[in-house]
Amino acid sequence: MAVGDRESRAGKATPDSRLVPAAPGDLTAPVVVPNTLWQSVNPLAYEGGQPPEITHLREFGQTDLGRRDDARWGGLQVIPANADNILDLIRENSLWPLLSGLACCAIEMMSAATSKNDMDRWGMFPFRASPRQADVLIVAGTLTTKMAGPLIRLWEQMPEPKWCVALGDCTVSGGRYKRSYSVVQGIDRVMPVDVYIPGCPPRPEGLIYGMLQLGQLVKDRRGHWPEREIGPTVPDQI
Amino acid sequence: MPTRKSAPDPSSEGGRTPCGEPHPGEPSPAEPQQFGSAHDVSSASFASTDDPRIMLDREVGGLFDPIPPYPPQTERESEFYTLGDGEMFLNLGPHHPATHGVLRLVLKLSGEQIVDVDPVLGYLHRGVEKICENSDYYHVIDQVDPLEYISSLFQEWAAVLSFEKLMDVDVPPRAEYIRVLSGELLRIASHTLFQGFLALDLGGLAPILYSFIERDEIVEMLAALTGARMLFNYFRIGGVNGDLNHEFMSRLGDWMSRAASQTEANAALLNENEIFVRRTRGVGVLDRATALRFGVTGGNLRASGVPFDVRRAHPYSVYPDLEFNVPTREEGDSLARYLIRVDEVRESIRIIDQCLHNMPDGPIMAKLPRLLRPRPGRAWGAVEGPRGMLGVYAISDGSDQPFRFRIHDPSFVNLATVPTLLPGNLLADTMAIIASLDPVMGGIDK
Repeated sequence: MAVGDRESRAGKATPDSRLVPAAPGDLTAPVVVPNTLWQSVNPLAYEGGQPPEITHLREFGQTDLGRRDDARWGGLQVIPANADNILDLIRENSLWPLLSGLACCAIEMMSAATSKNDMDRWGMFPFRASPRQADVLIVAGTLTTKMAGPLIRLWEQMPEPKWCVALGDCTVSGGRYKRSYSVVQGIDRVMPVDVYIPGCPPRPEGLIYGMLQLGQLVKDRRGHWPEREIGPTVPDQI
Repeated sequence: MPTRKSAPDPSSEGGRTPCGEPHPGEPSPAEPQQFGSAHDVSSASFASTDDPRIMLDREVGGLFDPIPPYPPQTERESEFYTLGDGEMFLNLGPHHPATHGVLRLVLKLSGEQIVDVDPVLGYLHRGVEKICENSDYYHVIDQVDPLEYISSLFQEWAAVLSFEKLMDVDVPPRAEYIRVLSGELLRIASHTLFQGFLALDLGGLAPILYSFIERDEIVEMLAALTGARMLFNYFRIGGVNGDLNHEFMSRLGDWMSRAASQTEANAALLNENEIFVRRTRGVGVLDRATALRFGVTGGNLRASGVPFDVRRAHPYSVYPDLEFNVPTREEGDSLARYLIRVDEVRESIRIIDQCLHNMPDGPIMAKLPRLLRPRPGRAWGAVEGPRGMLGVYAISDGSDQPFRFRIHDPSFVNLATVPTLLPGNLLADTMAIIASLDPVMGGIDK
């Protein structure tokens, strides 16, 4: 109804007339955008389901706030789309990692973030110190059994959607600590992993390439998060 | 999602301790490795583990509750975990952007002032000493690399030095000069990173960007020589792995032409910064007696007025033939520890210059058998790393593997002074003091 109504009324108007402010009579037909994409979990939220004071744009246009606004109602457009389709494009271009260095690979991760190999060129820079603000957990360095609990806690504190990158041989498979009694033999035993970057340590370019692959993964799966595999990604009987 | 299996019962494993588990990575046919969750959590987004060695927060009810769940075991514990009037605990780490790795500190605060500190270590314990004792002598060099991961050549050097003493190997002079050359280059990289990290922990973002330019140039240079950027595996018992090559020399010449001026420019970023100087001068003073009592070495000791340098006190390699000063300062505060590093970079550039001028011709490896079985005995090899005396105590029982391989790490000793340095300071200065000690958690936890 929204777009169609505007076009039917625009039929009698020439394109030039769209540049002048609409007459008050033009605004009698309300523009209704049905909200089918989203609803609040709490039915009492947003004024508790009561009818709001302003029910459509005509009334809004008569308020002070509406008069100050110089946007023309005639330009209002609605793009019906799955919100994740668009949001994932945004997410892909600003993957914010969690600043969580465990061991050697953390130095190469910092090298990838600083001057020479500038990860910021792909929107990957702001290393968030808080898991609440991060999209990607880059596990950089050996994960020991003592550190595994805290790291799992960090992972669970990160909001969805979130991704995990295993940086370095130790996190991929245990690496040179395959024989150690205190090292988790690959972090996919304790958390899901999206991208594995082998190397001891990988070069900063390797990390950047891995993050670009992760961006591609986000783009490929965009709008299809229900199908995303969550949980340990290693098959049962390995 | 893999199907969930029931958790293995730890009590049914015959009292097997975590340390007694020989190969946790390799599945045995009798007891297949199990993945999936040990806990029936409704949401699949939870990470999960079956490993009985891993303690999850939700199982034990607050891993990071500063007060441990057991009654105090020692006098020190009961003293520390008793709160006075107006005091509180603050848990810092193990995941914290400024702890230089995975260090956890339990701070006892009175207002903003630190009353007492309890460091918790072991979050990066990888069991390297045990792995080394199960490797033959050639493989040890690779295994010790990730300990001091910012300056891993020195860790190799200490291991190689102790093995050479154990086996009475004569190293060719060219190999010694190459060791000194690459080691001093890495010392510069490490000290430059130190400057950046220290400034970062004080809130200055710019210096670390310059530090990494310098550090990346040096490690790329060393990558041309050794093949790796961080974990080099370059030194060998009786020499080094590869000779100087054209790419390394051209990169080195290019860098040397502006190293001195670049060092001064990097130092001027902080030396003349009033905020930096006021936040480090007189903060975290480590006096001479305390430093000696703890066994602090390296730049931290020299900043407290003790001119101890392993290169001078117990000369090794070709350091007796080289001219260099041992910079010393009297103040013992964070600023002095920083300035010592800047002076050491200048001395390292002098040493590199002399190495390039005195580099002899000749072989780079001594002749050694493929299988090394040194006579039973014990040897101590120590080098002056960027953080202090880095030593290895190796005991041979006549087999092809070291019987005991003990690593003395300077960061561990330096970090031990934190409970004496921090009390009385403000919470905001905690990071500046820890950063000025320049710890590397890989070496501390081994």
